[in-house]
Amino acid sequence: MVSRAGAVAINGGDLALGGGLLALLRPALDLLAPGGVVALRSSSAGVRHDLPSWCRFERHTYLECEPQSDGSDLHLVGRGRFAVAYATDAATGEADPHTGFAPLGARVERGGPRYPFTINRRDSAPPPQTTRQLYDQATLAQWDAARDIPWDRVQPLSPIVERAVGQVMTFLAENELSALYVPSKFVARLHPAYAETAMFLATQMMDEARHIDVFLRRARAGGGALGVSSVTTSRSLLSLLELEDFTEAAFLLSVLGEGTFLDLLRYIERHAPDEVTAEIARRTRADESRHVHFGVMHVRQALGCDAALARRLEETVRQRAATLHGVSGVPAPIQDALTILAAGSDEPGAVARGHEAFRELLSDMHAGRLKRLVHAGFTPAQAQLLSELHTPNFM
Amino acid sequence: MSESILLGAVAYDPKVVTIWEGIREYFRAEGVDLDFALFSNYERQVATLLAGHIDIAWNTPLGHVRVQRRTEGRARSLGMRDTDRDFHAKIVVRRDAGIRTLADLPGKILAVGSRDSTQARILPLHFLRKEGVALDRVQLLPFDTDLGKHGDTGASELDVLRALADGRAHAGAVGDLVWINEQSAGRIDPQLVDVLYTTPGFDHCMFDALPSLSEAKVEAFQRALFAMRWEEPAHRRLLELEGLREWMPPREEGYDSLRRALEETAEW
Repeated sequence: MVSRAGAVAINGGDLALGGGLLALLRPALDLLAPGGVVALRSSSAGVRHDLPSWCRFERHTYLECEPQSDGSDLHLVGRGRFAVAYATDAATGEADPHTGFAPLGARVERGGPRYPFTINRRDSAPPPQTTRQLYDQATLAQWDAARDIPWDRVQPLSPIVERAVGQVMTFLAENELSALYVPSKFVARLHPAYAETAMFLATQMMDEARHIDVFLRRARAGGGALGVSSVTTSRSLLSLLELEDFTEAAFLLSVLGEGTFLDLLRYIERHAPDEVTAEIARRTRADESRHVHFGVMHVRQALGCDAALARRLEETVRQRAATLHGVSGVPAPIQDALTILAAGSDEPGAVARGHEAFRELLSDMHAGRLKRLVHAGFTPAQAQLLSELHTPNFM
Repeated sequence: MSESILLGAVAYDPKVVTIWEGIREYFRAEGVDLDFALFSNYERQVATLLAGHIDIAWNTPLGHVRVQRRTEGRARSLGMRDTDRDFHAKIVVRRDAGIRTLADLPGKILAVGSRDSTQARILPLHFLRKEGVALDRVQLLPFDTDLGKHGDTGASELDVLRALADGRAHAGAVGDLVWINEQSAGRIDPQLVDVLYTTPGFDHCMFDALPSLSEAKVEAFQRALFAMRWEEPAHRRLLELEGLREWMPPREEGYDSLRRALEETAEW
């Protein structure tokens, strides 16, 4: 709360009203509550004429002019009741859509237009302090796709492994494109009282942009082509893009989707056929873990505020599963590519080991989801159900 | 919805359409069926009101006192802007013109606004006469810009300020609205010009109606008008365009000086 003085004294010297005096007078009036008084000492004769007129138009009250012994005037101006800015430091409860893009803490003049923000409640946005910490971590952890990946160490691979790498990178880029688009939908809906959330989402989107870049670069770096985009993946990602609720989107995208991708990226790093692919997987997973942390924190806070939310999220997962009804498993192109990646060759014995590694991946993903869901505030039984209903597309 | 009220306003600027479209929409939301007709000049608007073809005219002070005179004081005044109260005119002088008091004006060139501008011509000259300035010895430089608009556009006042700035005039008459706005916007060089004299206050625009306007229409119009609030975003946009923060009840005493000025010069 800004304290409001009852009177302020300023020295205007010989400044004319149109010669800079207003730059002293207006801020002085701004310090006052309506009815407070500014005492202006002035040696400008023109101010005697102009100040009463200015007060009339601005609806301040020109009280009087007291001639001083040194020949100057002491003008007394009463602060009017219009254009009194109000404080926006109330970060709790419902944010006022009339404060527009005014940063939290600014004082806002009344009468501004209503903004179409729809995420206006404190409990709809993640907790500010942790979000701010994650934003700081994200800005420190930014890396450069061109400089930080040892592109000069890309080695020729056997054609089947090169194709598998191309397919895996295509799948990753496709999913990361959705992870870029989905948060962008919600940035413009977030009331700026929760600007730290918009700022964190901006880092998340920057991360996704960089991930898309490195995945596509890697797909082409060995002279190969991009792989296949399956209908299962496409359906799964459309159901993410169509979400209209911020918390539901955070849950499906970050907790379940990106959470599952943490295990996928760990698998790719472990079975990478070259240093470049491993480094890409390692770096992108570090970024993704921030997004997952943010999503878990968001959902945990929301579950704590809304007893009906767990049921609603379960229903959302069920509906999504229904849109993918008939899809029995992981899209074939990515399943095959991940198997070959772990096999490292087309030799049948190696492929058998690759297949086993892939089965272990699915099991690891399920275990990871259970852990994150419980951490987000679900019961073990709810976690079990939600994990089993999760999309076979991973994201 | 109430019985339809037809209001006249003069289209002195394209924004007038925006203002009255907005006010019409607001009045209708308040249950008052208001519509408006635009005129190119106040003489036609006043004649149309007196002929009973419109219910209410949004008039300049000159339009207002003419309606009052032609209805022998029986016309109804319905409301005014806060900024219409206690308007003043200023005599602004070049600092290098050697004018220290009003007595120095004879022999100098005084730029004045349109002959139908209350604030830039009619009342400043009236008050100078009252102060004893021998106007027959002052060379007037008139800017009869936008005649018929009664000085609403402010164009003649800007002409006066330009004449002062470039030395064509030693002094000039402007309304305090234009003078303060130009200073606030930083378009006045305070090293070059200064205020010499401020006239006594006078009142400006008024909503005028014939005495025959039904009480129901008067009540509906005033109820909606006075319910507009500066703090309300939709209202504020309209109030800013129209140049006020708050609509005020009417008062007549602020037009006495204009009546006297028109009597003196027989320019009714």
